[in-house]
Amino acid sequence: MTKAVTPPTRRRFLKTAASASAVFAVPHVIPDSALGKSGAVAPSERIVMGGIGIGRRGTYDLGCFLGEPDVQFIAVCDIKANRRKTVKEMADQRYGNSDCDTHRDLRDLLARSDIDAVLIATGPNWHATAATLAARAGKDVYCEKPCTKNISQSLKLAETFRRTGRILQAGTQRRNLPHFEFACELARTGKLGTLRTMYAHPAGMQAKTSGWMTPEAKPPREQIDWDLYLGPAAWRPFNKAHLDGFNFEKGGGMVGGGVLEWGSHCVDLCQWANNADLTAPIEYDPPRDNRLEARYANGVKLIIREDGWLPLGSCPVRFEGDDGWIETGDSGKFVLSSPELLAGRDVEEIGGYPATFHVRDFLDSVKTRQQPRANAEVACYAHIACHAANVAIYLDRPLQYDVDTNQFINDPQANRLNSEALREPWRI
Amino acid sequence: MLNHSLKPHYVCLSALSVLLLFMSPATAVELASEDELIAILTSPDAARKDKAITCKHLAVAGTAKAVPALAPLLADPQITSWARTALEVIPGPEASEALRSALNEVEGRTLIGVINSVSFRRDRDATDALIQRLGDDDLGVVAAASVALGNLGTEAARAALLEQLEDESETIRTAAAEGLILAAEQLLSASDVDGAISIYDQVRHADVHPQRIREGIRGAIVARQTDGIPLLVEQLQSDETSLFGLGLQVSRELPGAEVTEALIKQLAQASPDRQAKLILALADRTDGDVLPAVLAVADEGDGEVRVVAIEVLGSIGDASCLPILLKAAIDNTPNVSEAAIDSLERLSDATIDQAVVQRLGSANGKTRHVLLRLVGMRRLEAIDELRKAIDDTDAQIRAAAITALGETVRPEHFSLLISRVASPQNQEDVDVALKALRAAAVRMPDRNECAKQLSAAMADADLSSKTAIVEILGNVGGEEALKSLASAAKAKNDELQDTASRVLGQWMTTDAAPVLLELVETAPSEKYRIRAHRGYIRIARQFSFPTEQRVDMCRKAMQAARRDAERKLVLGVLERYPSQGTLAIAVQAAETPALRGDATKAALVIAKKLDPRSGDVREMLGKVGIKPMKIEIVKAEYGADGVVRDVTETVQAGVDGLPLVTLPRRSFNSSFGGDPVPGKPKQLNVEYRIDGQNAEASFPENVTIILPMPE
Repeated sequence: MTKAVTPPTRRRFLKTAASASAVFAVPHVIPDSALGKSGAVAPSERIVMGGIGIGRRGTYDLGCFLGEPDVQFIAVCDIKANRRKTVKEMADQRYGNSDCDTHRDLRDLLARSDIDAVLIATGPNWHATAATLAARAGKDVYCEKPCTKNISQSLKLAETFRRTGRILQAGTQRRNLPHFEFACELARTGKLGTLRTMYAHPAGMQAKTSGWMTPEAKPPREQIDWDLYLGPAAWRPFNKAHLDGFNFEKGGGMVGGGVLEWGSHCVDLCQWANNADLTAPIEYDPPRDNRLEARYANGVKLIIREDGWLPLGSCPVRFEGDDGWIETGDSGKFVLSSPELLAGRDVEEIGGYPATFHVRDFLDSVKTRQQPRANAEVACYAHIACHAANVAIYLDRPLQYDVDTNQFINDPQANRLNSEALREPWRI
Repeated sequence: MLNHSLKPHYVCLSALSVLLLFMSPATAVELASEDELIAILTSPDAARKDKAITCKHLAVAGTAKAVPALAPLLADPQITSWARTALEVIPGPEASEALRSALNEVEGRTLIGVINSVSFRRDRDATDALIQRLGDDDLGVVAAASVALGNLGTEAARAALLEQLEDESETIRTAAAEGLILAAEQLLSASDVDGAISIYDQVRHADVHPQRIREGIRGAIVARQTDGIPLLVEQLQSDETSLFGLGLQVSRELPGAEVTEALIKQLAQASPDRQAKLILALADRTDGDVLPAVLAVADEGDGEVRVVAIEVLGSIGDASCLPILLKAAIDNTPNVSEAAIDSLERLSDATIDQAVVQRLGSANGKTRHVLLRLVGMRRLEAIDELRKAIDDTDAQIRAAAITALGETVRPEHFSLLISRVASPQNQEDVDVALKALRAAAVRMPDRNECAKQLSAAMADADLSSKTAIVEILGNVGGEEALKSLASAAKAKNDELQDTASRVLGQWMTTDAAPVLLELVETAPSEKYRIRAHRGYIRIARQFSFPTEQRVDMCRKAMQAARRDAERKLVLGVLERYPSQGTLAIAVQAAETPALRGDATKAALVIAKKLDPRSGDVREMLGKVGIKPMKIEIVKAEYGADGVVRDVTETVQAGVDGLPLVTLPRRSFNSSFGGDPVPGKPKQLNVEYRIDGQNAEASFPENVTIILPMPE
C-alpha cells in the first residue's frame, strides 16, 4: 500500500489538484525548473522574505524556507530580544554573512520595500491582524494556523487578500501531504460512492476564552515588548504565563479552543474532501459523548470526535461514502475499506507532517500568482466551520448557520460571538 | 475612599465577578442578571479585571440598558477595548450613540479604537464626526478615520477622502486611498460601476503607496470587466515585476473569451520566463480556446517554456495532444520526456486509452517503452501485448511490461506475476516483479483467493522473495493472509518469523487478535512471543470494541503475560477504558507485589472515572486497601527554580475522597493557568493531610498524581 519515504515533487502532487473556486483556482503544474529552482537562482526569481514572531513553530517553518534556494531571508521581527538574536544567527549562518536585520515592531519590517513576503508564526492572537497588515503593506504571507480568532476575522482575511491581490498560504500543511491528498481525492471524486460522513479530530472539545491574570513586574520593553505582545488582544497586566504564545488567547479572545486548534487542519481537510472549500456546515450540535455533529447543505455529516480512531497518528480524518471509506493520520499511512480503492496507485508515505511541500507551494504561488492550496478563501471557510463549532460548544446549544449571510440563524447571542473588538490601534 | 454603604454590596459583586471569570458568558448571564453585571461596571470599588470580564459577558447578552455603564469605560486605556467589544455588538442606536459621542471625548490610541468600533458598526451618522477627524494631528487617527469613512461609504465620506488624496502628506494620501478602495467596493456591490471605476482610476493615478496603486489598478480592471482588457494588457507588458504579477493574478479573476484571447496574444510577445507564467495563467482559465497556443509551445517551444506547456497539457489537453506528447515523450531531454509521460498519464480524454493500445501493437524501441508505461499508468486493458513484452529480450521493455501488468492484471492472469517472482527467467526482473505483485495483490477483488495464491508461491520462492511475499500478504489482509502469516511466524527461518510477526503486530483490523494470542504461546522464540503479545495488547488498546470484549481481551492478555512489562502495558489499557470489568482486573493484578503500585494507580484512575461513591466501586477499592478518606490539601505549589505558583485550590478541587488528584486538563501548565517558568522542567509540590495525618509529596510535570498515604 505504501512505499519508502521519498519526498514527492510538486509535479506529482499537483496531478490531482482540487478546484477551489473560479477566482481562486488551484494551480495546474509548475515545473521546478520554470520556477528557478533547478540551478542558480536569478535575482529576479528570488523571493526576499522576513519573519514575524519566530518562536518554536516559526523556527521549524523558517527552516523549511531557508532550505529553498530561491528564498533570501533578510529580516526578523519579534517582541522578544532573545528570539530576534536566535533567528538572526540562524539566517546568518545559512547565508554565511551577518545581514539579517532585526526589528521589534512588525510595522517597521512591513514598511520595508525590499521584502516580498513574510512568514507569520506569532501566537494565534496576532495571526489575522498581522496577516492583513502585511497584505495591506503589499506582502505575500505564509501564516501559521489558526489564522483567525472568529468568524468576522475569517471573512475579513479573505476580503483583504482578494482586494490587495496578495497571496496567503495558511499553515495547514496537510493539504500538501500525499496521504491526506489521496484521502480527500477519493472522497471528492466519488470513489467512495456518495459521501455521507466525515470525521475530524479536535485537540479537546472545550471552548476557551481569554482571561486576566495576576499582575507581575513587567520586563524592559527591549527585552519583551508587552504592549506589542498583546497587540490586538484586550489589555491585561503583564504575567509571564501569558508569554506562552501558543496558549495565550488560543484561537480566540471570546471563544477559542481545541476544535479550532486541530480543526484548522482536520476540519479543513473535511472541507476539501466534501468539495466545500467555499462554504461551511449549516447546522451544528453541541458535543455529546465527545462527538460534535455538524451538517453541510449537501447532507454530508461532519463529526468532530475525540476517540474511535484507528492508530494512524495525530490529526486523523476519516471519510465514509456509500461504497467505501478511508482513514488516515499523521503517520502517513491510511486504511481503506477495500484495497480496490487504491486502484494501482502508489501513495507516498510521509509521516511527521512536514511543511516543506506546503512552503514550496506558497513560494511557487508567489512567483506565478496562482492561488496556493490553503489560500485565503479556503482558510476563511475552514476556520468559519471551526469557529461555529466552538460557538455551539460555548453556548451548549444547536446552531444553524447561513453561509450566504455568514450569520447564525435566529440566534443573536451566537452572532455576537462572531467578532471581538481589536485593541487599539489595531484593525483588520 | 470607599463608600461604606456600597462595601457589602461590592463584596457580593466581587464574589460574583470571580464566579463569572470561570464560566461562559452565556451561562454567566443566565446566572447573573444584567443589572448585577451593570452594578459591577458602575461600582467605584470594582477592580478593572472584574469590569473587563463583565464587559465580555455583556458582549454576549447585554442590552441597551448596559450602554450607559459601558460608555464611560471607553476613556480608560486599560479596558476601553473590553468595553468596545460589548458596544460593537449590542443592538440598537444607544451603543452607536455612545461610540459616536466618544469620538469627541477621547484622543490618541483610545480614539483610534473608538473610530474602529464606529467603523465596525457602519454608523453612517458618524460621517461628519469622522470627516472632522481627518484633520487630526495624530496620523494614526487620520488613517483610522479614512478607513472608517471608506467603510461607511457615504457620498460625503467619498468626497472628503478624494480631497485627502491631494494632501501634502504621503501618509494621509495613502490612508485616503485605502478608504477610497473600500468605498469603491461598496459602489461596485451596489452596481454603481461608473462610480467605482472613477474612484479606482483616481487612486491608481494618485501619488500613494504602490500597494494602493495596485489595488486601484486591480479594481479598475475588474470593475470594467472586458473593457478592462487594455489595462490588463498594460500590466502584463509592464517592466515592473509586481505589475506583471498583478496582471497574472487579475487575468485569473476576469471572465470572458476575449481575456483569454488577449493573454494568448501576450504569449507570443513575452520573454521565455514570462511565457511560462502566462501559460500557467492560461491553463487556469475556463473560457476561450487555450489549447492551440499551448500545443504550439509544447511542440516547438524552447527549454523550460516547452516543459511548462507540456505539463499544462496534462490538465487541459485532449486526444489532439497525443501525437505531440508522444513525440515529446521520446525526446532525449529527460525533463521534456518525463513531463510528457506525466501529462500523457493525466490526460482525461478517454479516446486516448484506445489510441495507446492500438499504437502499442506496432510500436518499437522508445515508443514501445513509453506506451507500455502508459498502459500501466492509465491502467489499460492490453494483456496480449503485455504477455509478449514480459518475455522481451530488452530488460527495459520487460520491466515496463511487468510494472504495467502489476497495475492492470486481472485475477485470471495473476499467476503471470507470481511466476515472475517464484520462478523468474531473468533474475534482474525480480525486484520490479515484486513491486508489481504488490500493486496487483492489493487490488485483487477476492483477497482470500489472492492470499492463497501468494502462499502457494512461497513454497518455491527464495528467501528474500518469501520475505517480500509476507510483506505483501500484510498489504492484502483478510483471513487467508492471516493464516499464512501465522504459519510464516512459526517457520523455521528467523527472518521469516521476524517479518511475519512484525507484519502481524501492525495489523490494521481486529481479526489479528486471536492469531497473535495464539502466537504468544506457540511462536518459536521468546522475542517473537513477546512481540505477538504486544501486538495483541496494541489491538486491545487502540481499536474500538464493545466493553465486554475489551475486558475479555485484557483478561486474556494478563493471563498470557510472562513478564511484568507486558502486564503493565495491560494496566495502561485498563486505565484508558474504565468499567467494572477493567477495575476488577486491575484490582486482581494488585495482588501481585511487583504490580501493586501500577495496579493500584490503574484502579484509582478507573474508579475515579466511574463513580467512586458507588457501593461496587468502593468494595473493589477496598480490596486494594483504599477506603474513603478525608483529604485536605494544605498547600500546593507549581513551578521551578524558586518561581512557583500557588495552585492549592486547583489541586483541592481535584480531590474527591480518593488520593488520586484529577486536574481539569492532562497538562499541568493548562490546569494551573499557564507555564510559570517556560523552558524549565517543573515540579508540583503538595503538602496535604489524609485523615488528619500530614504528608508531603512532589510530582514531575504531567504525571498522574496519586498522593502517597502518610507514614
